[in-house]
Amino acid sequence: MYLRRLVDVSLLRLRSLFRRARVERDLDRELAFHFEQQVQENLAKGMPHGEALTASQRSLGGFAQIHQEECRDMRQTNRLESIWNDLRYAVRTLLRTPGFTIVIVLTLALSIGANSAIFSVIEGVLLRPLPYAQPDRIVRIFFNSDTFAKFPLNPWDLRDFRTRNRTFDSLAGIVRADMQLSGAGDPVMLQAFRVTSGYFRVLGFSPARGREFTTSDEIPAQARQALLSDRLWRNRFASDPAILGRSILLNAQPYTVVGVMPPGVQHPGNDYHAVADGDTVDLWLPFPYDGNSTQRGSHFMEGIGRLKPGISPEQGNADLSAVLTQLAHENTGKDWRVFLVPLYREMVGRSQRMLLVLLGAVGVLLLIACVNAANLLLAKSSARVREIAVCSALGAARGRIVRQLLTESLAIAFGAAALGTVFAVAGVRALVACLPAGFPRASEIRLDSAVFAFTLLVAIVTGLLFGLVPALTASRTDLQQSLREGGRGATGSGRQLRLRNFLVVGETALACVLLIAAGLMLHSFVNLLQADPGFRPQHVLTASLSLPSEHYRTAAQIAQFHEHLIASLQSLPGAQSAGVGSDLPWTGYDENYGGFGVEGRPPEFSRKTTARYHVASLDYFRAMGIPLLGGRFFTAHDDKDTPAVILINETMARRYWPGEDAVGKRITYSDKPQEKDWVRIVGVVGDVKDRPDSSGAEPAFWWPLAQMPFPFGDMSVAVRSNSDPAPLANQLRLAVRQLDPGLAIANLRLMDQIADASVSSQRFALYLVGLFAALALLLATIGIYGVIAYSVNQRMHEFGMRMALGARSWDLVRLIMGQGLTLCLAGAAIGLLCAAGLSRMLGSLLYGVGRLDPVTFAAVALLAVTTTALACYLPARRATTADPMHSLRSE
Amino acid sequence: MSKPSDLIHGTLDLLILNTISLEPQHGWAIAKRIQQVSNEVLQVSQGALYPALHRLEQQGWIRSEWRVTEGGKDAKFYTLTRAGRTQLKKELAQWERLSNAVGLVIRLARETA
Repeated sequence: MYLRRLVDVSLLRLRSLFRRARVERDLDRELAFHFEQQVQENLAKGMPHGEALTASQRSLGGFAQIHQEECRDMRQTNRLESIWNDLRYAVRTLLRTPGFTIVIVLTLALSIGANSAIFSVIEGVLLRPLPYAQPDRIVRIFFNSDTFAKFPLNPWDLRDFRTRNRTFDSLAGIVRADMQLSGAGDPVMLQAFRVTSGYFRVLGFSPARGREFTTSDEIPAQARQALLSDRLWRNRFASDPAILGRSILLNAQPYTVVGVMPPGVQHPGNDYHAVADGDTVDLWLPFPYDGNSTQRGSHFMEGIGRLKPGISPEQGNADLSAVLTQLAHENTGKDWRVFLVPLYREMVGRSQRMLLVLLGAVGVLLLIACVNAANLLLAKSSARVREIAVCSALGAARGRIVRQLLTESLAIAFGAAALGTVFAVAGVRALVACLPAGFPRASEIRLDSAVFAFTLLVAIVTGLLFGLVPALTASRTDLQQSLREGGRGATGSGRQLRLRNFLVVGETALACVLLIAAGLMLHSFVNLLQADPGFRPQHVLTASLSLPSEHYRTAAQIAQFHEHLIASLQSLPGAQSAGVGSDLPWTGYDENYGGFGVEGRPPEFSRKTTARYHVASLDYFRAMGIPLLGGRFFTAHDDKDTPAVILINETMARRYWPGEDAVGKRITYSDKPQEKDWVRIVGVVGDVKDRPDSSGAEPAFWWPLAQMPFPFGDMSVAVRSNSDPAPLANQLRLAVRQLDPGLAIANLRLMDQIADASVSSQRFALYLVGLFAALALLLATIGIYGVIAYSVNQRMHEFGMRMALGARSWDLVRLIMGQGLTLCLAGAAIGLLCAAGLSRMLGSLLYGVGRLDPVTFAAVALLAVTTTALACYLPARRATTADPMHSLRSE
Repeated sequence: MSKPSDLIHGTLDLLILNTISLEPQHGWAIAKRIQQVSNEVLQVSQGALYPALHRLEQQGWIRSEWRVTEGGKDAKFYTLTRAGRTQLKKELAQWERLSNAVGLVIRLARETA
């Protein structure tokens, strides 16, 4: 019954609100009926007709109107109706001053739009749960040690973890293993991973058809099996329903399809030979365990596991550490520790700080826009003093006036939010297009209901935030005084001006905080670009080649292919030097570290010696522009038949031969070296950092192409040209095709592009924060201009008097400039102080710049003062036009 | 108009609910009925009646509909809802208590005087 009543009542309210005309008509009819009955009665009593009418009118009271109003009150719709009326009034008021409204709505819309756009990135990347079942139970498994912050696993270690752990539901390892698919349309390179059994159980996916890999698929003889992605199955195999058991050709070898995964299997991202996270992998193959389980020096597998319910990552870490301790007793292990990272942190951790900084920046921008709007509203409300005074004189309560003014600011806020959403739609598209390479979860960024809810919330909060102070101030006007002054609008200007000054100081302070952030990032970015990368990226064309092991079985075959390729590349017109190497700077490294012994040092010394190993052809260093610091480069004589030699980098020379000349020293990879096992260092080359912002380089050495100790199927080509190297691309393709028509060239890029991409994340953050800071500066300038212009208008009379008393234009200009600069300096001082405290938050986004970088702080202070001076110029000019005669006459 | 006895504050609702509890009535009839039943003691002014009717309707105690009167005219008839019937019982009980209490106090005052 209660419910019934509730429904009835709500229907009535809605009816009263939306069918107002109808309801009013009903009321009229009802009262008319009553009136008629009264007349009838009076007539029945024997009154003459005219008298009957008058008497009825009297008894009804001439107050029919008032009765109606009371009835309306009783309908309790007045509240809703009056909100509607307030709103209409507000919109009409706002449209009366279109310039003001456009400025305020536009500035708010820009900052609300920016907030929504950044929030949609944060929502997609940080807030939305990872696309896996119970994602918080998934962890990535690495090693670390005193020397390495993060290191991949050896497959045998992973297998022991899998069998001996007590805290994981399932645990698996993955290794990137791209495959060339042939026999199903044009040959195509597929992004593929070799995975141990249980990998999909970790992620919580199961095949749509067929089965997942089992441990028996890890036996090398049975490992020729494949799981297809839904996309691959549809596009390349026409959704063949009989795909299970079919044989497909991968790298020219037959593999049996054992299953098809459902659509949308999400790759969790990986660190070494990384593939971006998302629906990015086409093919999975079993990881074959061959070789000797006691040889565990080689680390290339990435671990991932699903913890049992209720187990924390710390407990999982302790569990695997215990297993590792057992293993250390059984096999000679290095000083590895288990390093578990929750998947969420591993995926988005690196972007988290940048995103939070962006959110902070955009939040500050919104705050500035609010302060600015409050300021503009204050200025406007002082022009409306008379209107408000008349309202209160007619009996409007203070609360009613505040409500009307708040309705206005909310109308502005909602208008701005609507426009801001349009900006956000464009902004999100632009943001996603500009995201730095490899940004996590980029595919999940979109405008959705959560973002709209956020925008709505922001609109309400901003509306109240910037509306409340002006509304309260305006409603407090002294009625008598403002009416008496005939609405010259000068009342309360003292208090109001103080408030506006305060707002402008706040606005300037906030803008300075943003400017400092942008300035520090800009200075960092300049440092980054100016930092010596250790090589010369200009005019270098690069590409990667993958020689399939089926056709290039031995190191000698691979070396021979590349020697031919280099020879043909070097003969190209315009080519300065050409070389191949196992990897290129700034394209990532898969942490292939080798241990080695140093001649003449005790065995304990060699326990801790590690370095990255690479292969390079003779001219690789010349092509990359890596300088020789001592000794010599490789020569054509360094081949299979001559003594083994290596080149090392500067860090390796410094670390293991401190204070000595490393050239001529010898190392060995063997525990009990014979004379032939010694390798001589023939030269030291300059360091190349992993990334432009790495603090230093890792120790590294290079084997000459002809002496590589085992086959390196994957190599990168680098050709340096005299001018623009882009035209060489076709000739490079041609040269490869002539040598082996079946080979595909991948990653054909200019080294410049690689260098450019490597700072893309810093540039992205810089551009955005810079954009927000520029907007902030603009808003603060508008704020200062507004206050000064207003106060000049108020004081024209005074200026006239001053001029009459002998003040020159310059004196007035100085007076007004002084007023503006005082505000600006107060704001800037507060802003710089806050920035000094807050700049810590920028953390890793800075490079080679102190938190209190004097250059940035000075530049921002100067910028603030300059813009203020510009903002004050126009009002100051106006002040000088004050007419002394006018002032005198009115006195 | 209603000089003789203004309705005791809050009793109008009770009277209206009670009046239409027997059968649906329009506003005029309600006013007349209260007047007649109270021997012309209680006069309901239109200025009080219609706002009260609208308030009661908005609260869901009564429901209105347009019907044709015996005289063949359109009039808005008010009916008690089930919620209104419960409300009427409540108000009646309350009135009972109140009038008893007032009676008691007055009698007591007389006796002591």
